[in-house]
Amino acid sequence: MGLLSWIRKRKGLALAVCLALSVTMLAGCGGGSKGGGSSAGKKEALTIGMFNAPDSFNPLFNPGIAGQFTIRFMYDTLLGMPEINKFTPQLANSIDTTDNQNFTIKLNEKAKWTDGKPVTADDVVFTFNLIANPKVETTKGSYINMLEGTDSVGKRPDGTPIPDLVAVDEHTVTFRTKKPVDPNYLKSMLGFEVYIVPKHVFEKIDPANISNSDAVTKPTVTSGTYKFVSYKTNDHVELAANEDYYKGSPKLKKVFIRIMNGTNLVTELKSGNVQLAASGGIGSVPVKDLDVLKKDNKLIVKAVPSLNTQYLEVNNSNPAFNVKFRRAVTMAIDRQKICDELYKGTAQIVPTVYTKVSPVYDESVKPLPYDPEAAKKELAESGFDTSKEITLQVPIGNVLREQSADLIQQNLQAIGLNVKQQKLDFPTVLGNAKKGDYEMMLLGYGLTPDPDYSNYFVPGGSNNFCHADDPKLTEMMNNAASLPDAEARKAAYKEIQAYMRDNQFVTSLYETDQINVQSKNLVGGIKDFWEGSLDDLYQWHFE
Amino acid sequence: MGKYILKRVLISIPVLFLISIGAFVLVHLTPGDPADMYISPDMTAAQVEMTRAALGLDRPLFIQYVDWMANFLTGNMGFSFADRQPVLDIISQRLGPTLLLMSISLIVAYATAIPLGIIAALHKNSKLDRAIIGWTFFNVSFPPFFLGLALIYIFAVELDLLPTGGMEVLGMENDGIDLAEHLVLPVIVMAAQFSANMIRYVRASVLEVLGQNYIRTALAKGLRWRQILRFHVLRNSLIPIVTVIGTDLPKVIGGAVITEQIFQWPGIGSLTVAAINSRDYPVLMAIVILSAIAVLIANLTVDIAYAAIDPRIKYSK
Repeated sequence: MGLLSWIRKRKGLALAVCLALSVTMLAGCGGGSKGGGSSAGKKEALTIGMFNAPDSFNPLFNPGIAGQFTIRFMYDTLLGMPEINKFTPQLANSIDTTDNQNFTIKLNEKAKWTDGKPVTADDVVFTFNLIANPKVETTKGSYINMLEGTDSVGKRPDGTPIPDLVAVDEHTVTFRTKKPVDPNYLKSMLGFEVYIVPKHVFEKIDPANISNSDAVTKPTVTSGTYKFVSYKTNDHVELAANEDYYKGSPKLKKVFIRIMNGTNLVTELKSGNVQLAASGGIGSVPVKDLDVLKKDNKLIVKAVPSLNTQYLEVNNSNPAFNVKFRRAVTMAIDRQKICDELYKGTAQIVPTVYTKVSPVYDESVKPLPYDPEAAKKELAESGFDTSKEITLQVPIGNVLREQSADLIQQNLQAIGLNVKQQKLDFPTVLGNAKKGDYEMMLLGYGLTPDPDYSNYFVPGGSNNFCHADDPKLTEMMNNAASLPDAEARKAAYKEIQAYMRDNQFVTSLYETDQINVQSKNLVGGIKDFWEGSLDDLYQWHFE
Repeated sequence: MGKYILKRVLISIPVLFLISIGAFVLVHLTPGDPADMYISPDMTAAQVEMTRAALGLDRPLFIQYVDWMANFLTGNMGFSFADRQPVLDIISQRLGPTLLLMSISLIVAYATAIPLGIIAALHKNSKLDRAIIGWTFFNVSFPPFFLGLALIYIFAVELDLLPTGGMEVLGMENDGIDLAEHLVLPVIVMAAQFSANMIRYVRASVLEVLGQNYIRTALAKGLRWRQILRFHVLRNSLIPIVTVIGTDLPKVIGGAVITEQIFQWPGIGSLTVAAINSRDYPVLMAIVILSAIAVLIANLTVDIAYAAIDPRIKYSK
């Protein structure tokens, strides 16, 4: 290689530089016309900003909320639920019963799969049996575990079909539950949470292998408003209108779900490139940026109560942490200050785990007050040795929660408790919570609209992080869950709320509002009841 | 030369093998069970076990490695824990954008840095030299996330001239101009970093050569300054410059973690962060191996380039 070739090489370099520079300059010139983002071609495409990447497009196995949100664009359930306990027809026109134990599903005769085949009773029966199949990896078991013959996680351990689950004709399915159930409960679980899968596609796949198959990583045959086009990992999902959708052709022809962090979401909403924040824990703008967005007259910003709550868990299995102690802790914490100063009014004090959104929320149950003097008194009565150091475990990641830990620590020190903070990563805190290896910790739950939270408060419950073992509470919760009548259930849960408030099995700190942000010209968008947001998706459009 | 290259390639096979073992062990030693990330709170222990089995995490680590290696050798990199998509698909989607962003950034960086470095050296201690050196200090000490956010704020949000991030305007027919628009800001941020480094190396290297006796000789021979510069100074300054290029090259594959995240660039860098956060072992392994290959290739290229630049360097055997 001689000098000449070196010069030749440099010529190549120079050429490349010129090219790069001209591209850059071109870009600078062209920028003005397109940077704005809302040109004519965009009116039919909606871009949604979301924090978490969807973990799954698998209608049977979708542990993460971001996956669940995305799947609902593609797959319909039997019923929609735009508001808690208000049901709309989707694949099913109705789920009826006369005795709260024998149910009949009437399917919509117009419903069809994206390959043109009709959605039939066979698909419904096949789906439920697939979920119950012990070989199938699924997160849907707890939504069908009221069916006769299934175990507590909705499985048929022997692998046989669910008894009494029958396709009567092409559009009718009948089934029987283990015992009478509240029809609203059944509709909100089996009706609203179970995506029906196409039998003619899924029956060809080995049940043990569904989670890794192409049918669920790149879905082609679906029943919902939108069809899957492509997924660029951690970047965006592209969806296209299902023109033959049985409720009507969707007005927005394309939907893009882009994955981005909070800061990017704010800039993209402001610039108009994103017209809707996914909200609901997977796409809420940071509280610190709320004012900036509220001032933008192209955007609508709205904070609504949610089912997301933050807790101070006090380990109930430690005998020193008795009722008096737990009440003292709650009354020592100035929760209003956290709501006002950290959350800027987008968090509200809650008396118990039941928030305003819960259908059984009872206004007459008032939260324990912030009262350091009363707290000191009850602490003295509890017999707790205040010289003992207490460790407060704080999971990192949620900045506001980390900041709230400082205020809580000061409040508890003010009544004489010797509290130290220990910051740990979330998986570690969660592991300690499960093992009961802690004294106090901060945790948040996203609860279900259905009020049965026995999982969180009954010994052996998978989420009993406070390790409550109170026979009276256990009995109350088990009883309330099994009542088949909606009014009777509500009354039972009212008693539970009063009992929880008085005993403070956990300190319910506050509920964090769901913050919805969208472009003003978008008709449709995230609803107050977040999970039901996509109910009228096919009608969403830009004005 | 051919033999030398062959030897180097053969040596890199056991190196890659060792890297894969090291990476596999390290990745699996990170605290946090991936299965915990991919389950919902209401799943029972039996269901969690089923998920662990589906991810292949229920087997001994050694078996997992052998399995992974066997698959890797047949071109199967497995599927992502996070979303069960094939790793090969994910990586190939991400590789293009990173290659594009990084190679353009490097070209822009070198195209500005090499002339500036030479100018600074030729005008040593002048105002111009100080201005250039000051500029490199500014670029080196300016954190890329801040520069990136500042540029987004000024050019995208306030002036509305350029897009805030991503690689394309979704939902539109995308042409080269659209892509170029999306490239401008991230390229500026990346190039600023690369060039700052390069300017200082070029300046130091040229200064050193300028002090050599053969330059004085050339001057004394009455050669024109341009000729001296081109044939004597530049050629002899190239060795350290090529070394710097060698350290930059692997980044063309590995991507830039911070810049890609700020500009939502769908490249390998942002994928790496996401894979670490979600303990996505198969994707992490693929990225590590890919980066290792990139480093080995870059090293080999640099060594070959040395021989090409400097006839005194010869590789035997």
